[in-house]
Amino acid sequence: MLRGFGNFLLKELKELIRDPKILLGTIIVPLIMFPVLGAVMSFSVQSAQETAGKTVIIVLNHDNGAASSEFITYINSSLRVVEAHVATIADAVPLLAENNATEIVEIPADFTRNVTARLGVQVKFGSVYAGSGLFEGIGSSVVDALVEQFNRNIAPDVVVPEKSAIVKGKIVEGVDPRMLSSLMISQAIAMPITMMILLSYSMQIAATSVAMEKEEKTLETVLTLPMDRFAILMGKLSGSIIVAGFGAVAYMVGFNYYLGSFTAMIPAGANIDLVSLGLVPSPFGYLLLGTSLFVALLSALALAVIISSFAEDVRSAQSMVGYIYPFIYLPSLALMYLDINALPLAVRVIIYAIPFSHPIIASKAITMGDYWTAILGIVYVATFTVVIMYIASRLFATERILTAKLKFKGLRRGKKNATEELQ
Amino acid sequence: MASLDSAVAVVDLTKDFGEIRALNNLSFSIETGEIFGLIGPNGAGKTTALRVISTLLLPTSGSVKVFGLDVVQEAARVREIITYLPEEAGAYRNLSGREYLEFMARFVTKDKNRFQDMVNEAAEICGLGDRLKSKAKTYSKGMKRRLLVARALMSKPKLTVLDEPTSGLDVLHSYHVRDIIKRYVKDNGVTVLLSSHNMLEVEHMCDRVALVSKGQIVAEGKPAELKERFESPNLEEVFAKVVGFA
Repeated sequence: MLRGFGNFLLKELKELIRDPKILLGTIIVPLIMFPVLGAVMSFSVQSAQETAGKTVIIVLNHDNGAASSEFITYINSSLRVVEAHVATIADAVPLLAENNATEIVEIPADFTRNVTARLGVQVKFGSVYAGSGLFEGIGSSVVDALVEQFNRNIAPDVVVPEKSAIVKGKIVEGVDPRMLSSLMISQAIAMPITMMILLSYSMQIAATSVAMEKEEKTLETVLTLPMDRFAILMGKLSGSIIVAGFGAVAYMVGFNYYLGSFTAMIPAGANIDLVSLGLVPSPFGYLLLGTSLFVALLSALALAVIISSFAEDVRSAQSMVGYIYPFIYLPSLALMYLDINALPLAVRVIIYAIPFSHPIIASKAITMGDYWTAILGIVYVATFTVVIMYIASRLFATERILTAKLKFKGLRRGKKNATEELQ
Repeated sequence: MASLDSAVAVVDLTKDFGEIRALNNLSFSIETGEIFGLIGPNGAGKTTALRVISTLLLPTSGSVKVFGLDVVQEAARVREIITYLPEEAGAYRNLSGREYLEFMARFVTKDKNRFQDMVNEAAEICGLGDRLKSKAKTYSKGMKRRLLVARALMSKPKLTVLDEPTSGLDVLHSYHVRDIIKRYVKDNGVTVLLSSHNMLEVEHMCDRVALVSKGQIVAEGKPAELKERFESPNLEEVFAKVVGFA
């Protein structure tokens, strides 16, 4: 046994465990965060399964033979079938909303004849693409599984699905929504991950910058300079935004290369032009998205400045800012998989209340042409930011910027010690 | 007793931190061009008093005026005529000494000539020479303190507030810093309020001193007068007698 090891270890454990920042950040936060994360994931999968089970398919049966009836029975075993008497998939598109349907199948007139003769028959499928998340297109997958099952019972490749995507009410012939999902993976994944990295990174910068002033004992001098104290706050925020902005650009460039590997997996010949499909935001959409990101970033930085004002050094500031991370990570991860509109009201309210969710919600909404969701989100986050900025500016305008940490410390070590430090 | 035309007029200043009373009806005044020392042990309330005068803390009650300006109502104007050197002040680690001085000078003047004069003057006061080009993180404690003292004096403020100006410095650096302050103040007519728990040091620097204990002034006067009044060879002994240790 090493001489003195036991004694030293005991001291080390006491020091570490008694530090509330370590206790909270290292033990309690993960104990709460990961089960919550697990619950979000399990909820996501469950929700996707339920969505698949609840998928409504509009059937246009031009055949009315025995085989088509059998085929519809197959479909009915997993999906809810609504029969419609219109000529084409295009005619059935207006019926989607009123029936809450996301799939359309058009059974041709020669279906029974060809199936009976074991000849291949092409069946047209139309699937709605709504850009809701990674589980987008699950309905289309269920249709595939049903067709495969039907073929296995009758004859290989007797029913050949001919898929089209329905984007914003328009039919895009020959495009499988799952293919679109793969192409739009950048939207489904990149935005939440960008938010997680950009916000946590810039919050660390802002917190470090405030805490450095305290740790290096420069804050007191700065506060007695002939300058507007709000300028100190704005200088800190702007500096952090600029540095974080460079970080975000570097990150996005790298991440785009990474995403390139996903889109490279799209089958050759699937020449999908996202611009013509309207799945690339308009310049106004980009402006809204940029504004949404900016106000969320500003709110995060202002929060970081306030929180780090209570820290006595850089390490404490970084630990304290870490307590906000669950509020960034959880909605980001949830929105990666889930369509916010499919969530229960309580969960939806929580996600909407967290300002960091809004750029992700906005990115999905803008892609689908829903600008109002983005605008309302911006208004909410901007209001939240103004409130936080006001609190931060009050903090900088008064002596609390100096005494806050001491009071915080005083809560832990006893008020007397804290105030004695000021004397 | 504080008079209205004093450089600093502190009247019945009280500062509470929760249930702790850091300053208890503190009153004193400083005349223009004077070096005034607040002396007392750690925890006596010296730093709190300096922070209130420097507009960092708000008084619980009482009033503080700096050249007739109220530190609460006219804090922004007070900041234009004072400089403050905190006890454990630091410089920005990744700025060079010169960049630090330039950064600080930009808050004081927009005039290019005055700006340049100010920075050159500070360079001369601190005596760091070529080391001003080095980043502050490479400075020793003594070098950093000299830089900060130079920063506090370079703008020729009407009042400079120095909290333990030689705190943590060795004998030679302390000597140098004391020498800088004394010379500069006499040459430029700057009023100085400083605090120290080193009573021997203050004795040699200050025109007048106030002995602070438990947030109150227990004795005030010229060092020589106090020594005579309390029949003591130095201020340390005066203090011990005043607070009842001797």
